[in-house]
Amino acid sequence: MSNAIIPLLLDSLASAALIFFAAVGLTLVFSVLRVLNVAHGSLYSIGGYVAASVCLFIASRQLNPYLSFVALLFSAVFVAAILGPLIERSLVRWTYGKSEAVQILITFGLFLILEDLQRLVFGVQSLYEDSPMRLLGTSSIGGVVYLNYQILLVAMAVLVVVGLRLLINHTRLGRLITAVVTDREMAQSIGIDTNRIFILAFSLGVFLAALGGALATPTSGIAPGLGADTMVLAFAVAAIGGLGQIEGAAVASLIVGFARVLAIYLVPSLDAVAPYAAMLAVLLIRPYGLFGSVTARRI
Amino acid sequence: MLNVDKVSVSIEGVRVLRKISCDIVARKTTVLIGRNGAGKTTTLRAIMGLIPRDEGSIRLDSDDLGSMPAHTRARAGIGYAPEDRRLIPELSVEENIRLPALALNLDKAEIARRLDEIYMLLPELHVMRSRPAGGVSGGQGKMVALGRALTVARKVLLLDEPFQGLAPALALEYARTLGELRRHRPELALLITESSPVLLDRVADRTLQIERGEILVPSTKDDKAHVHEV
Repeated sequence: MSNAIIPLLLDSLASAALIFFAAVGLTLVFSVLRVLNVAHGSLYSIGGYVAASVCLFIASRQLNPYLSFVALLFSAVFVAAILGPLIERSLVRWTYGKSEAVQILITFGLFLILEDLQRLVFGVQSLYEDSPMRLLGTSSIGGVVYLNYQILLVAMAVLVVVGLRLLINHTRLGRLITAVVTDREMAQSIGIDTNRIFILAFSLGVFLAALGGALATPTSGIAPGLGADTMVLAFAVAAIGGLGQIEGAAVASLIVGFARVLAIYLVPSLDAVAPYAAMLAVLLIRPYGLFGSVTARRI
Repeated sequence: MLNVDKVSVSIEGVRVLRKISCDIVARKTTVLIGRNGAGKTTTLRAIMGLIPRDEGSIRLDSDDLGSMPAHTRARAGIGYAPEDRRLIPELSVEENIRLPALALNLDKAEIARRLDEIYMLLPELHVMRSRPAGGVSGGQGKMVALGRALTVARKVLLLDEPFQGLAPALALEYARTLGELRRHRPELALLITESSPVLLDRVADRTLQIERGEILVPSTKDDKAHVHEV
């Protein structure tokens, strides 16, 4: 029995970790900017493409393979530093205070642009380079063999939850973000440059998405269409957790990760449906998500 | 000090301020009296840059505030306490008061100095400093909002209907605090809006009337309100 349950749990956790990276950025950006960024999934896949390209380069030049871990992290930083401020300043900022329909249409336009740009830059072939995963090898508990890379994914996700909480509750920037989330106008009146906070929060969201994409490539590779798949999953997770809730996104990722893996193990044909079944079930009982409420401050 | 010149503002296409002009001068308490909907809050919001102007200019000393984003007001030394307080409920009273100092990135010694000054003026804030701001009463919240505004008010302090909704005892307390403030910070230019002139009769150096978005000819104690003073 335990031989079946342990791999199932580990797969669920690893799958949850990857979904979480995408969802937490989406939910963070929503809570600060009040914009649901439909292109968020594309930033996840761009992070994946950049990381996979750099890892392939490292492998082809036979550089120290451990460099690929550095590459995963720096790909995400690179994508966030370039695309974060660029997208926020050029497109997203024009949607502040506009209706949700306008925001969704504009970010959907951005999604289409980013998807085509990826095909243009990285081609339509899938990229796969699993050296980071192979380097870490496997371990076994009670005869069950698992990938150490999966443990790394889960550890990184936990690190992100703790790190974000510390950032928001215990740093100057976190205080300013809280003020902007609670009351944008008052935040301006007390001297907070809200535009700066928007750029930072958006870029942080891009970083988290790109990090998720980068960490995902060694396990599953990257191919066109990943952006759209990720977006829908991330939205399901954010909705289950309650839009704007960091811990909510973490718990919801676990639910969705578990639902997916359970479906793969039991009824493989339902794999794609499972996350939305979970979302439906949660939203029927709690329309604002597990951690959300009509009036709750979101972050 | 703070000069509002022929400022007009529209909300949803409706003119709510019509070419209002006034000077808020240092060392004086200016009271802006008007009924609900006369444009008192809009005047303060226009000064704070929270609402776009159709025309007119707003200057602080020689700086043109009109062309600068809203957040620059605090650094320029303008403190603002809105009528509805707008505190961050999850943060403590003290954290709310410190927030502008964090936004302006003041150093620790300066933050401590300003906090001390505020607690000296408003000792009741010191008593409730560690309570969450969401847990204080409406009247106490007004005091917290005043404290927060004082954190940045180096030159100008704008108070929007501070007595609105205060219990009589708290209103007396608040008026006493304004008197103290005048003594401790004589250089400050104060602009207070209110719907009834009675409450501010004792603190007002000058009274302006606003009616349907227009500032009427100055009346009562000082009829030279439009003239620059030192």
